[in-house]
Amino acid sequence: MNYSKNILYKASGLVLFATLILTQSCKKSFLDVPRQAQQPAAQFWKTGDDAKAAVSAAYANLHEWTNIAFAPMAIESVGSDDTEKGSSATDATFMNDYDNFTVTAGQGQLGDFWSGEYKTINFANQVITRVPAIEMDANLKARYIAECKFIRAYAYFRLVRAFGDVPLRLAPPKDASEYNIPRTAKAQIWAAIETDLTDAAAVLPQSYGAADVGRITKGAALSLHAKAAMYQQKWADVLSFTNQVKGLGYSLFPNYEQMFRTNNENNSESIFEIQSDLIPGNPDASNSQYSQIQGVRGSTGGGWGFNVPTQNLADAFETGDPRRDASIIFRGETTPEGDAIPATGDNPMYNQKSYVPFGMFVTGYNEGVQQNIRVIRYADVLLMNAEAANELGDATTAIASLELVKARARGSNAAILPKFTTPDKDALRTAIWKERRVELSQEYDRYFDVIRQGRGLAVFGPKGWKANKNEVWPIPQNEIDLSFGVLTQNQGYN
Amino acid sequence: MKRIYTISGLLLLFTFFSTALFAQNVTIKGKVSDAKTGEALIGVTVAVKGTTNGTQTDVNGVYSVNAASNTILQVSYLGYTTQEIVIAGRNNIDVKLQSATNELQGVVVIGYGTQRKLDVTGSVASVKGEEISKQASINPLSALQGKVAGVQITNSGSPGASPKVVIRGTGTIYGNTNVLYVVDGVWYDDISFLNPSDIENMSILKDASSTAIYGIRAANGVVLVTTKKGKKGTTTVNYNGYAGWQSVTNPVKMANATEYATIINELYASNNSTPLFNDPASYGTGTDWSKQILRDAFVQNHQVSINGGAEKSSYNLSLGILNQDGNIKTDNYKRYTMRLTDDYQPYKNLKLGISASGLYSKSKDIPGGIFHEVYGAAPVVPVYYADGTYGDPSDYSLGDGNNYNPQASLDFFNQKSTNFRFTGNVYAQLTFLKHFNFKTSLGGDFGQAEVKNYNPVYVATLKQRNTTSVLSQDRTETRNWIVENTLTYENQFGDHRLTVLAGQTAQRNQAYTFNGRAENVPGGGDENMYLSLGTNRTSTDGGSLNTASSYFGRVNYAFKDKYLLNATIRDDAASQFYGDFLHTTLPSIGAGWVITKEDFMKDQHVFDLLKLRGSWGKVGNAGIPYNPLTPTIARDPYLTAIFGGVPYQGASYNTVQPQLLRLEIGVGTDIGLEAAMFNNHLTFEADYYNRTTNNAIFVIPVPSSTGTSGGLIGNQAKIQNRGFEFSATWRGTSGEFTYSIGGNIGINNNKLLEVVSGKNPLYQGGDGIANGALATRSVVNEPIGQFYGYKVVGVFQTAAEVASSGQTSAQPGDFKYADTDGDGVITSKDRVVLGNPNPKYNYGFNTSFGYKNFDLALDFQGLAGVDIYNANVAYRFGNENYTKDFYDNRWHGPGTSTTYPSANVGNTSNSAPNSFFVESGAYFRVRNAQLGYTLPSALLTKIGIKRLRVYANAQNPLNFFKYKGFNPEVGGGPGSTGIDASVYPLYATYNFGVNVTF
Repeated sequence: MNYSKNILYKASGLVLFATLILTQSCKKSFLDVPRQAQQPAAQFWKTGDDAKAAVSAAYANLHEWTNIAFAPMAIESVGSDDTEKGSSATDATFMNDYDNFTVTAGQGQLGDFWSGEYKTINFANQVITRVPAIEMDANLKARYIAECKFIRAYAYFRLVRAFGDVPLRLAPPKDASEYNIPRTAKAQIWAAIETDLTDAAAVLPQSYGAADVGRITKGAALSLHAKAAMYQQKWADVLSFTNQVKGLGYSLFPNYEQMFRTNNENNSESIFEIQSDLIPGNPDASNSQYSQIQGVRGSTGGGWGFNVPTQNLADAFETGDPRRDASIIFRGETTPEGDAIPATGDNPMYNQKSYVPFGMFVTGYNEGVQQNIRVIRYADVLLMNAEAANELGDATTAIASLELVKARARGSNAAILPKFTTPDKDALRTAIWKERRVELSQEYDRYFDVIRQGRGLAVFGPKGWKANKNEVWPIPQNEIDLSFGVLTQNQGYN
Repeated sequence: MKRIYTISGLLLLFTFFSTALFAQNVTIKGKVSDAKTGEALIGVTVAVKGTTNGTQTDVNGVYSVNAASNTILQVSYLGYTTQEIVIAGRNNIDVKLQSATNELQGVVVIGYGTQRKLDVTGSVASVKGEEISKQASINPLSALQGKVAGVQITNSGSPGASPKVVIRGTGTIYGNTNVLYVVDGVWYDDISFLNPSDIENMSILKDASSTAIYGIRAANGVVLVTTKKGKKGTTTVNYNGYAGWQSVTNPVKMANATEYATIINELYASNNSTPLFNDPASYGTGTDWSKQILRDAFVQNHQVSINGGAEKSSYNLSLGILNQDGNIKTDNYKRYTMRLTDDYQPYKNLKLGISASGLYSKSKDIPGGIFHEVYGAAPVVPVYYADGTYGDPSDYSLGDGNNYNPQASLDFFNQKSTNFRFTGNVYAQLTFLKHFNFKTSLGGDFGQAEVKNYNPVYVATLKQRNTTSVLSQDRTETRNWIVENTLTYENQFGDHRLTVLAGQTAQRNQAYTFNGRAENVPGGGDENMYLSLGTNRTSTDGGSLNTASSYFGRVNYAFKDKYLLNATIRDDAASQFYGDFLHTTLPSIGAGWVITKEDFMKDQHVFDLLKLRGSWGKVGNAGIPYNPLTPTIARDPYLTAIFGGVPYQGASYNTVQPQLLRLEIGVGTDIGLEAAMFNNHLTFEADYYNRTTNNAIFVIPVPSSTGTSGGLIGNQAKIQNRGFEFSATWRGTSGEFTYSIGGNIGINNNKLLEVVSGKNPLYQGGDGIANGALATRSVVNEPIGQFYGYKVVGVFQTAAEVASSGQTSAQPGDFKYADTDGDGVITSKDRVVLGNPNPKYNYGFNTSFGYKNFDLALDFQGLAGVDIYNANVAYRFGNENYTKDFYDNRWHGPGTSTTYPSANVGNTSNSAPNSFFVESGAYFRVRNAQLGYTLPSALLTKIGIKRLRVYANAQNPLNFFKYKGFNPEVGGGPGSTGIDASVYPLYATYNFGVNVTF
């Protein structure tokens, strides 16, 4: 029948067109779509540029909030007698828990510090694990890996001081079975730090050309190694490493106060500085808040006024020691750069070492974002050298190194800071410790330095510090919860 | 592009096949009217049964249709009982339709078709367009609140945002938790582009067997939206307009200046510091910041629609204008909408059509944090000093927690958002071989959203200033398309009725965002704002893309209209999945028994209808945004290192190694009973449902010692939602008085059945909690995301009391926690379950009354059996203001309070998640009240108006709740639901409106 044939014809036409659409949409390529505006990991780790970018990421994480702002202030600073919370009395009151040692495991800065350091470790581990397979300049490859070994060692150094035993990761976790791992005894953490620093020092150059200023040097690796050895009282190692650093051509910057200004960054005394800057048009990349949180409160271009010097610190300087004025901004003063600090306000003193002249402030960016963070200075190395020499019975070397530091502070004013000459081991030790305090004040060294010296109870006891508990901070509660009991809590915090 | 050609080719082809197929047809004419009132019914569908040949009645109720003389006419109209009439050689058939006061006998829209409600074996609810437009809501979904059992609508307080819709409890945790909206065949995640008065009908598919035909997007439930179509006959013009205002209701009262200074001094004292304010009383009542910043906001909405049609075509065009002010003084939103539907029938067996929506909106935005600023701002600071400069919190040494003047924040915020959207579909439908019907549809959704922000150079206060102007512009393009082809076979033979559907669909969804930023762009009006005029220009982009290809089929069978059977199957392949998990096949089945059709029910007069139904089905959720198996490299700006003073953008890998994911699958069972009783006065529907979500995808946080960000996405859990739904409506008439009273309630129990972490709990909910503490815990055999923390048993009154307790570091005025493990000290092991954020009862009452020309509708709605975590109380950074309630009840010395803590509520110990912050989230409200009056038509016809109705409407006018926060409607993602860190006030809206038909 003609009529139904016609219909049949039409129907098959339809089916044909429908089938066309079907086959079109069924193609495998139709369902295989790329991630938008993202680089698949499989395309990375191929070239020297990829390696360079991955190393940059590891460096960059060093000036991220959890690595240089509130968390380090809580964990590495306010516990000491150098600084206290500051700011307005009611702002961020949790900081007082670190000053008074009433902190409990749930406090957020513990977790921030923990995750911040482990993020740094991951970025370093990525490079150390994946860059070896990249075909690129062999020397550069070795240097990149060495730089990241230093960065990893630095992060573990901060972790082991803060928490004692911590999970040890020397490669990125391969799969879910490696996410939740227990703590490793701190002796092994120290050993891993030392291995990394030995490896790094063997490869890293003594210095870089202008374009690479700010990268980790051999001197930095040796200096951090010396510090790691000092925390373990391996005095012969401390002496050996610091002596090596002394042979690398560093010298103390003549003007102590000016050493901390942005125009004197990466100077002759600088061994390891975290580089930070204001990148025009890119406030997200200009993310350092190191200077901002400590800046003068209540002044445009100042900052939040946290981590302020204590009266105890101000009193610790010998009469006439110019480092007192160089280290502390007092209310009512006018800074050498001409900023008048209002006479009244929340806090009587602020940290001058993180100070960036107010005129450099650009709205939309953090105050003082231009400031590099001075992590290891040659003065620190000299004082480590002095302490090690003294412990090993070499008072002459100890006195000589100590005097270098004092002499720079003294400058041309012979009436102040007389040379220490008593070759008595205990007296000399006390003098070196005292010198460490005034020379390195507010540089996030004092708190763990005192604990290392075994004087935690004597120095911080009046503030609430307890032996057999406060040598380390509690492991973050969220991290223990997530570990389903794999992570244990530190003594005294349960 | 290729695909679009294919479609247009197909459409063209249809027009060629145009010969008349039914040569032996006769023309049948007649009039359709309401059986009771005799009123002509406009737009009634008169179809020739077993074909898609059909027509609609014109404005006089008259139809004309060609049909074979031995076929059956099917006359259906929403709200009326469908009639089937054997033509038996007649040429003139008048029809009187019975009003289906019994809704159970009407027609409902189901996936890819319609079905008599009688034949439905799943749980499907319909809401008519007029009920939606009556609510005077800006968003059509808001209007559903309290209307449908088991559908929980949480309105966002933020102006312009879409409400969160949850059907039958939280079954999915990650990715797309949205209900699927299908508007005239096109899929959407959100239908905020639709003007509520363009909606003809909404069908809410709740059980797995009803939604299964939508496969990978079915798991969260499906809402089918039918928009208004043109009707054949004379042209009708409608105007709907209302104007009114929106005002803050149930405001939270804050402490005044004297109270503020007093409590801040106490806060300083408890932090061992000298008081900040020497003489609190000298500040008087100070600034009422909410009065300064908030206002009663004006709103007006107008819509004109014109519809009509000739023999072979019909159209409906509507244009809408909305102008809505926000409650924040500078906030304004303007929306222009257009919707056009055109249907053509060039040949008897072919229908072509188009439906399209256009939207243009423009808003003047407000700063994101402004409500928090108003909440926290110090009342001691004046808005302006006597010299006209801004009051500066820094002059009062207030902390960074509230170092802003909200008025200045508002004055220097300059952001405009514009939105263009064009979406719709074209379709062609061919009937052939009497019982076959092929339909093809191409839908698209194209949008462009732009946010333009200009931060000018200004100085307002110490902290509110800017020296470098910044222009930033974000532009998001959306490009989605969907193709659907379905073939339907429909036939009736003897006692058997059979419909078979087979279909195929493919879709692609893409969004692409481009962001640009430049500094120092000269000011001088919007027309001069270009990135090219600035310096330090930077740009970034981002986006998402996914595709899916699917096949589906369905069989509906009825025997003697008594025994019903429905079965569906769908196979989906989606770009989010790989390898063995690429394809998923999802089956479903449903059966029904119409008991009233049985002989033994013949003589009873109680039940007009009694039907038992049951269904089972599997549904999917592919709502993950991309294929997570492709790990990507992090290249965030913060990864920029500096060497030699030069920035170097870093890049690396910082996520955990992803796992192979499979589709999340919901398995649902539904047993329902439907009844109509007492001459259809009472209708009743009850459902029991049990839905488990297998392979539920979500992010499990991994230890931060991995150094990674973002956690582990995986098929992590099995979740159960089980419950009951009841709804009943009584409709009655008494003389000129008509009324209907309905109620519905959904009872849901949520439970985690399995989780990959085994017996180990999952802690979440850190967002919005001071100090980042985690406030919820999910553990096997308990509801998802219960609040978890310390139980407060009192407040320490004295130092001696502290010393003798297990919390030796506490201060007087701090919370005293229960030592639940009895070890003498308070540790994290003392934490217990504090409350459940998953609402157990969700209910509504809907009433309507008519007397002569008056009509009144009153809707009530509420939630019960739900808890809220009031995170705002302890969310403090410094000297933010306190609520009046907190001030009045606070501890401020021994004996002053045993329930409220001191001003130091934000300290680490007090702000730890605890029972003080957990409050009941139950509420009951008058959702909507509307009184209308229709003018007598005798008056109007003289001036050419067919119908004129005026009304007054109030939305949320009365709210009852004990919760101490701003609004008991608290949303939040699964695992952090119910944590209230928002300070958006609750609004009530009052409108006066008019509906005119010409």
